[in-house]
Amino acid sequence: MIDILLGILRAVLFVVIAYVVVFVAALVNIYFERRAMAFIGDRLGPNRTGPQGVLQSVADAFKMMGKEDFRPLAADPVLFTLAPVTVMIGAVAIQLVLPYTDGLLATDLNVGIIFLVAISSFTTLAILMGGWASRNKYSLVGALRAAAQMISYEIPMLLALLIVAMIVGSLRLDHVVAFQAHYEWIGFYAPFTFLMFYIASIAELNRGPFDLPESETELVAGYSTEYSGMRFGMFFLNEYAGLTIMSMVAVTLFFGGWMGPWNGAVSLWGVDLVGVFWFVLKSYVLVFLLVWVRFSIPRLQADQLMGFAWKILIPLGLANTLATAAIILWVPSWKWGLLVFGWVSFFAFVGLFDPLLKRRLRRERERQPVVSA
Amino acid sequence: MYDHFETPEPDEAVKLALRRIEESTARGEGSDVAGLEFNEVVVNMGPQHPSTHGVLRLVVTLDGELVKDVIPVIGYLHRCKEKIAERRTYFQYIPILDRTEYVAGINCEWAYVLAVEKLAGIRPTRRAEFIRVITAELMRIASHLVAVGTFTADLSPLGTAMVFYMFRDREDVLDLMEELTGARMMFNYFRFGGVRYDLPDGWVEKCRDFVRTFPAKIREYEALVDDNAIFLQRTQGKGVITQQDVVDYGITGPNARASGIPLDLRRTRPYSVYPELDFDVCVEHHGDVFDRYRVRIREMRESLKIIEQCLDMLPRGPVQVGSLRAPYVITPPPGSCYVGQENPRGEFGTYIESDGSRYPYRLKYRDPCFCNLQLFPKLLSGNKIADAVAISGSIDLVLGGIDR
Repeated sequence: MIDILLGILRAVLFVVIAYVVVFVAALVNIYFERRAMAFIGDRLGPNRTGPQGVLQSVADAFKMMGKEDFRPLAADPVLFTLAPVTVMIGAVAIQLVLPYTDGLLATDLNVGIIFLVAISSFTTLAILMGGWASRNKYSLVGALRAAAQMISYEIPMLLALLIVAMIVGSLRLDHVVAFQAHYEWIGFYAPFTFLMFYIASIAELNRGPFDLPESETELVAGYSTEYSGMRFGMFFLNEYAGLTIMSMVAVTLFFGGWMGPWNGAVSLWGVDLVGVFWFVLKSYVLVFLLVWVRFSIPRLQADQLMGFAWKILIPLGLANTLATAAIILWVPSWKWGLLVFGWVSFFAFVGLFDPLLKRRLRRERERQPVVSA
Repeated sequence: MYDHFETPEPDEAVKLALRRIEESTARGEGSDVAGLEFNEVVVNMGPQHPSTHGVLRLVVTLDGELVKDVIPVIGYLHRCKEKIAERRTYFQYIPILDRTEYVAGINCEWAYVLAVEKLAGIRPTRRAEFIRVITAELMRIASHLVAVGTFTADLSPLGTAMVFYMFRDREDVLDLMEELTGARMMFNYFRFGGVRYDLPDGWVEKCRDFVRTFPAKIREYEALVDDNAIFLQRTQGKGVITQQDVVDYGITGPNARASGIPLDLRRTRPYSVYPELDFDVCVEHHGDVFDRYRVRIREMRESLKIIEQCLDMLPRGPVQVGSLRAPYVITPPPGSCYVGQENPRGEFGTYIESDGSRYPYRLKYRDPCFCNLQLFPKLLSGNKIADAVAISGSIDLVLGGIDR
C-alpha cells in the first residue's frame, strides 16, 4: 500500500518537475534568445523590465494570460481547443526518460531512445491539429509544411539515435550516460552523427534555417496565425522549451549527460546537484548554438529543405550507420576505429559540403541565360 | 459565441481571382495531379502582411506551395496628392512631395522642383546644384539600405540581423540630413532656384567621414550574404525580368539595370551637374533577384563616389537665386512640361500643366514603383510562395508613391 502511494507521489513529483522545467526553460529561453539576437543585430534588446530586462518574458507571459481568448467562428471547436494542450505533451513526456542527474530519473525505461522519437512526434500532431482546425489558409499551409518537414527529418534523427544505441549497446538513457563516464563522450566518437542529429533537431524544432512552418514573411505566423492569448502562449512556450529539451536530449546522448568534474561533491537526498549544474550548462551551450545558427543562416525553401533531408542527410545517414555497424562488428579496437571514422567523416562533410554546393551554384550561374543578349 | 464576427463577402479582387480559377478549370487547365478537380485556394496577402512592406495587398491564387495567379490591389494609402496640388501654390506643394516616396523624399522633391524650374525658367545656383546632388545621393544610399535590408529580412531571420545593421548605418545618413535640413525624413529642403539652407559648419567634414567609413560597412554586408550558399540558392535565377518585360512594362531604375539595360536618367537624360561627375551606371546581366540586389549594393558605392566628387568640387556662392529668400509665389507661364529624375527606384517624373496662375492646373506623377508593380502578376506566377516573397522584396516597392 505504502509502495503504491510512494509510487504515485514519485510520479506526481516528476511530472511537476517536467512542467516546471518546460515553463522555466521557455521563459529563460525567450529572454535569452531576444538578448542574443539583439547582440547579433547590434542592438540592446529588452533591458527595461527588471535588472537587464530579465523579467521581460514573465511580463509577456502575464500579458498573454490576460488577453481575450478568441476563437474564429469557422474554426473546429474541439480540435482548436485540444491542439494547444496536446502540443505540450512531447516536451513534458520526453523528460520522463531523461536522467537529469545521478539519482534523478523518472523511469529507466528500457526502450528510452525509441520512446524519445515516438513521443516527440506529438508536437507535429498538435501543430497539424491546430493548423487544420483554424480554418485559415496560412495556418493550413504552415501545418502541412510542418508535417512534411518533421516526417522527413525524423528519419535522419532516428538514424543518428540508432548509432548511439549501437555504440552503447542499450536503448536505456541511463546506460547511455553511464557509457560516457570518464569523458568518453559519444560526441567525440561520432561527431558526424552528432552533426546529423543536430541538424535534424533544428528541423524538428521548426527553427531557422528550417523555420518554414512559421516563416513570418511568407505565412504570417504559420499554424498559430489564428491563435491568441494563452492558447498561442502554449505553442510559444512549447517552441522555446523545445530548445532546452532538445539540447538536453543531445547532451544526454552525445555529451555525457550530467557527467563532469566534481560529480557528487554536493548532493541532497541522494541527488547529485553538481550533475544538474553540468547538465544545464552543457544544454545551454547547445541552446546558444541553436540561437546563433538561427540568426546566421538564411531560411531554406520548402523544396530545398526536402531535398536536403532526402538527398543528402538520409543517404549519408544510412552510409554512416552501415559503416559504424561494420566497425563495431569487425574492427577489434572498435572505439579507435569509430574515433578515426567519425572525425574523418565530420571534416569531410564540413569541408566539402559548402565548396561543392558553391561550385554547383557557380556552374548553374554560368549556364543561366543572360537576358541582355 | 462569436456571431458578431461575420465572414465578410469576398470583394471584387477575390471574386476576380475565383472567376479566373473557374475559367482555367473550364478550359481544362486545372491541376489534376491527384485527380482532384479543384485544389487551388485564394489567399489574401496583405494589406497587413509582414512581407508586403506597406499596405500593398496581393490576392494570390495558390496551388499548394505554387503561386498560380496574383492580383495586386492598391489604394490603401491614397491621399489625393495630385488633386491637392491644384489647390496649393507651387511653393506650398513642396513638402507634400516628401510624403510620396517617403523612403527617399528628397529625390521626389527634386523631380518636382526641376519641373517647376523648367516651366518658370529659373536656373538654380551652382552651389545649390551640388548640394542637391549630395543630398539626393545620400538619400539614395539610405533608400537602398532600406530596400536591401527589408529584402534580406524577407528571406530569413539572418536578415533581421542584417536589417538592423543597415538601419543602424542609415542613421548616419539621416543624422547628416537632419543637421542639414532639420528633419530626418520629411525634409522640405529644395526651393525653386536653390535649396533652403546652406551647409552648416563642419558638415562637409562629417560627410567626408561618412564617405570614408561607409565602404567598410558595404563590405560587411557583402561578407554576410554574398557568399552564402543558401542565399545564392534562394536568389539566383529567380524572378527573371527580361529586357522585353522592361520595355513592355516601363520598368526603370535598378530593376531595369539588373536586366542589362543601362537606363539611368543621370546619364541618359542628364540634369543638374551630373554630366560633370564621374560615375558608372551599374548594370548586371541576368535580371534575377540576385542581380537586383547586386545592382543596389554597387550603386551605393557609385553614390559615395559622386558625393566625394561633389564635396571636392563644391563651389562658393549663394544657395538660392536672387535675393536671400526663394520666391514664395511664382506664376509660370501657361504651358506644360514633364521632367524625369532618377529616383532610387527608377524614373520619378512630374508632369505639370500650368494655366499661368499661382496654382498648377494639373499635376501628375510618373512613379517608378507603380510601373514596377504592374509586372507582379507576370513575375510572381509560377513561383513558390517563398520565391514570390523574395521577388517582391527585390522589386522594392514603396506604397506611398503607388497610391499617392
